[in-house]
Amino acid sequence: MTTPTAPDAMYRNDEGLGIWEHRGKVAAVGVGHGPTSRRWDGRPETCVGAITIQALRKAIADAGVAPEQIDGLVVVPVTTTGAFWEEGKPLPMDVIESFNQTDDPLDGVAKLSAEWLLANMPELTNVQFTMYGPGCMSNALNVAAQAVGDGLTHTCLVVKSWHNFEGRYYQSGANVEDTLPGTAAITRLWGGPASYGTALQFAEYCRKYGKTHEMMAPFMENSRRNGLMFPEGYWAQHRPEELGREDYLAARWIAKPANLFDNDIPIMMSGAYLFSTAERAADMKQKPVYILNHASSNARPRSLTPTLDEVEAETARTARKIYEGAGITADDLSFENMYDGFSLFHQFHLEGLGYRGIKFGEALDFYQTDISIEGPNPVSPSGGNVGSGRSRVWMHTDCIQQLQGRAGARQVTGVEPEVAVSGGPMPLGGNFTVWSASPD
Amino acid sequence: MVVLISFDIDGTLEVGDPPGVLTMDMVRLVRDKGFLIGSCSDRTLSGQRAIWAAHDIEVDFVVSKHMLPDVKAQFEADVYLHIGDREDLDRQYALAAGFDFLWPDEAVAHPHFQPEA
Repeated sequence: MTTPTAPDAMYRNDEGLGIWEHRGKVAAVGVGHGPTSRRWDGRPETCVGAITIQALRKAIADAGVAPEQIDGLVVVPVTTTGAFWEEGKPLPMDVIESFNQTDDPLDGVAKLSAEWLLANMPELTNVQFTMYGPGCMSNALNVAAQAVGDGLTHTCLVVKSWHNFEGRYYQSGANVEDTLPGTAAITRLWGGPASYGTALQFAEYCRKYGKTHEMMAPFMENSRRNGLMFPEGYWAQHRPEELGREDYLAARWIAKPANLFDNDIPIMMSGAYLFSTAERAADMKQKPVYILNHASSNARPRSLTPTLDEVEAETARTARKIYEGAGITADDLSFENMYDGFSLFHQFHLEGLGYRGIKFGEALDFYQTDISIEGPNPVSPSGGNVGSGRSRVWMHTDCIQQLQGRAGARQVTGVEPEVAVSGGPMPLGGNFTVWSASPD
Repeated sequence: MVVLISFDIDGTLEVGDPPGVLTMDMVRLVRDKGFLIGSCSDRTLSGQRAIWAAHDIEVDFVVSKHMLPDVKAQFEADVYLHIGDREDLDRQYALAAGFDFLWPDEAVAHPHFQPEA
């Protein structure tokens, strides 16, 4: 079985598609996370493949499903954006040989294939459907939701993992080559940090609306606070440190006005969910969280990096798609969990959604109000990547757990958790899911 | 002679992530010698203070990685020394700020960190 990448037809990229045909008929039930760490320590039991297997098994157990009932697996095959196995570096054969292998020796160490996972999870005896959702969990969730809705699988695992190696992030792989292929040769021409595009947009945002970087501090503090109540997350597990205003504002610039903490910390992690049909989910161990819609942004900037105008146009367009397919309005959102890594674009997503009626240019003022989980306007109750480390997963886990009423200390109390939205990563280019406590 | 020592944390001190070769007892040693000491790290300021408090070590400053010039402006000393494990974020910053620089393994063997005879 060779696993295909999801075809474009599985995504809802366009406006005017109407209500999603599977609205309320697909549900997330089980959640599982592997342990986090800052970097891989070289042991077989901590490699990205191993922690992924742990996450998947936890999701299966959490849903109370027998492994042989599972017939689908959606995987994000890429497990990094900036930590690559150095060319010529000896392969970790002791690790590789600890697992059943595929043709690629770095499978399970620096990447993940569905075939590797199935070869090392013998309990998954009935998986008939496998598919790749490229890039992010946000993408894979859209694929899994559509696949279950379309009847390609009825009980489907979806997983995203991250590895991190020794050395500096983004200072390996193509970035250390003399030449870059394709579009990257132009877009990375100046060798700036990964956040420089977002920093440019944020600088223009501050100029246009008369805002300052300092106004981000309440959002950052709130996000880390929420993250420290996320037991699956890196900061909660390893360094329970708050990120106060003084802490945030004293950090050095990475790409001014993006500072160190506006850039998420790379970690090892794995997150997995079990999706099923609404009918099957009703008999599983956890309360089903129904998917009302999924929507995608596939816009391309006109030049090297999106302008603020393009960002605002696209986040608004994405919101229209999100609401249209789900049959809801901004007023229906109990809370939002849009992506935050880089933190300086969270407000673009927020303003595009029109969350709590805010308009373009108003999010930083909104951050100065009560955005806590206890208040009426929770912002990023997951804490996102700011709160738990680089994963692009926490926001989805949080939506599921909040709507199931099992977010623990992080549970929102100022609003009734009924409908939520999560997704990302970028304002131009992302995938989004609308979650609901009820199928209607 | 007034000596000021700035310690990086991660990869430098034993409590760092990754742990470094400089022990907290070595820090106490230079503290007891009357040196001005503190940390200069990418860790949050509150996080740095928490580390020192947890080890009951009184420090003269905690600053972010780019703030060695502020330390130099704040304290009069005859020797300004930064100890760290990174070429770009420790050595280059230190030299640019007018500090002397030692790698952690060099620092361990330096007379500053030997008990006075």
